[in-house]
Amino acid sequence: MIEVRGLTKRYGDTLAVDGLSFDVEPGKVTGFLGPNGAGKSTTMRMMLGLDRPTAGEVLVNRRRFAAFGEPLREVGALLDPGSLHVGRTGRNHLRVAARTNGIPQRRVQEVIEQVGLDRAARRRIKGYSLGMRQRLGIAAALLADPQVLLFDEPVNGLDLDGVRWIRGLLRRLADEGRTVLVSSHLLSEMEQTADRLVVIGRGRLIADASTEEILRGLGNLRVRVRSSQADALLTRLRERGLTVARIDAHELEIEDGTAHDVGDVAHDAHIPLHHLSEVRPSLEHAYLDLTGDSVEFHGRAAGAAPATTADAR
Amino acid sequence: MTAPSATAIPRGGVSTGRVLIRTCAAEWTRLWTVRATWGFLAAAAVAMVGIGAIAGFEAAAEAPAPQGDPAWAVAPVAAMPAQFALLALALIAVTSDYATGGIVPTLQWTPRRGVLFLARTLVAVGGATSVGILLGSGSALAAFAAARPSLTLPVGEGLDALGTIAFVVAAGAAFAVGLGFLLRTTAGALVTVFLGMLVLPLLLPQFGYPWMSALAEVLPGSGAAFLLLGQVPGMTETSSVVSLLGWAGGALLLGWLRLARDDANR
Ligand SMILES: Nc1ncnc2c1ncn2[C@@H]1O[C@H](COP(=O)(O)OP(=O)(O)OP(=O)(O)O)[C@@H](O)[C@H]1O
Ligand SMILES: [Mg+2]
Repeated sequence: MIEVRGLTKRYGDTLAVDGLSFDVEPGKVTGFLGPNGAGKSTTMRMMLGLDRPTAGEVLVNRRRFAAFGEPLREVGALLDPGSLHVGRTGRNHLRVAARTNGIPQRRVQEVIEQVGLDRAARRRIKGYSLGMRQRLGIAAALLADPQVLLFDEPVNGLDLDGVRWIRGLLRRLADEGRTVLVSSHLLSEMEQTADRLVVIGRGRLIADASTEEILRGLGNLRVRVRSSQADALLTRLRERGLTVARIDAHELEIEDGTAHDVGDVAHDAHIPLHHLSEVRPSLEHAYLDLTGDSVEFHGRAAGAAPATTADAR
Repeated sequence: MTAPSATAIPRGGVSTGRVLIRTCAAEWTRLWTVRATWGFLAAAAVAMVGIGAIAGFEAAAEAPAPQGDPAWAVAPVAAMPAQFALLALALIAVTSDYATGGIVPTLQWTPRRGVLFLARTLVAVGGATSVGILLGSGSALAAFAAARPSLTLPVGEGLDALGTIAFVVAAGAAFAVGLGFLLRTTAGALVTVFLGMLVLPLLLPQFGYPWMSALAEVLPGSGAAFLLLGQVPGMTETSSVVSLLGWAGGALLLGWLRLARDDANR
């Protein structure tokens, strides 16, 4: 169980993490989703006590991580796989980890076999591929059989077999009742593995709901309408006080209102419609809004509450 | 497959003392599992034993050969250059973790920073000091063997010489470790150690200004040189010991504050 409360991290002028609050619960794979620079890694580093929050706190199993005497028995984590002393052999790296937490040395060999590094373990990490470093990081995370696992972009650098292996591993860990948090910037990746999604952008919570709900769509309905007389329709809709955006010469998007309203307006004005539909903004849209350079950040109006569901928990 | 398989991992309370002992054991493994450590050890060994042997051969060649001089006299002299390899060893035990990003797993496994600081300092300083004592003995033995039968190995003088070496290396290594925690970069910390331990104490008095000489006297290198070589104008045993302890303690304090307060490595 991980509880994040009002977590904030400021680097100079950048608010990398901005008042985040959410829970990560046992028995589920929770995807931690956000575009590059959203603050995922920073949040995970604060969970592990590596970085000091500007405000707020994180509790892991109801305690601050820095209070643990045997942290590996509580939380296993894979952060940046390049962050380690590459002059050591993989086995010695794990031996050190085992020493720090009083774990029997024979456990080192077990995890080495478990992640499939048997042959490489004797070699210096310097010569490892990115995928091998990921596996070594995962071996360290699993070393003391912890109940909470954090993985920061674990599929980076893995081949298809590796990706499948990770997916299976995450699933099994969650099915065993463990708390599993795994970050990614790819929705498509998370669709396949996560039961719940915590979505952040620019350090703030965008959504915290089940994966199904998020895939079904977020936020208010929008109406799409196509007409050869789009200009006239646009004027009429605005006269009715609706917020209308122009998509192209023949297509409009109405942010409030329903297809019913729009149909009525068109009928009253004798404007022919060629298409009329209601859409929910998808996560992909919210994403594009966040990441697109030219697009203003309008996926979430200022002050709007993030999409959260209690029932899906 | 994710199950702990054969090895059961018990969970429960553990005393801080036990965590410290484990962390020291881990630090020890960290030290000997990197090549740099062995490189600096080899350099220190070659310097100390080599200088001892050369001094021994020279003593044997003297006419008339010295009768009964203690071979121990060479050990502190040999330690003067060799200490730098040991200080670098201790310093790199700290800074390499920052250079490689290894501090991230280190703090994940030992999140109590006080424990990590204590263990890392104890192992690096203790390791460097023990090696200093060992190589000091090696140096005197080499001189004794090379000059046989003209030099002697009296116990009292031996304890004296080795005690001096141990103190100087321990204080210097603590200074280096503190700077490592404070500055975090190998280059920055190493340059600072060399400036304080060697370059400035030698250079400043050359300018002839009294205030520069006074400044040189309070630097740790002057204290180390006085204790090892005994020929530094203006220094006494007390001033040397006080200045070395002051620099070591100050650097450790600042290093500790940075480790305790700052983000792990950003
Ligand atoms: N040490 C630092 N100094 C200044 N800014 C930083 C620092 N570390 C992170 N940031 C900034 O904080 C923000 C969040 O970064 P973070 O690495 O947490 O993002 P992320 O979600 O993990 O992204 P990615 O998907 O690229 O890994 C970014 O804008 C980044 O530039
Ligand atoms: Mg990241």
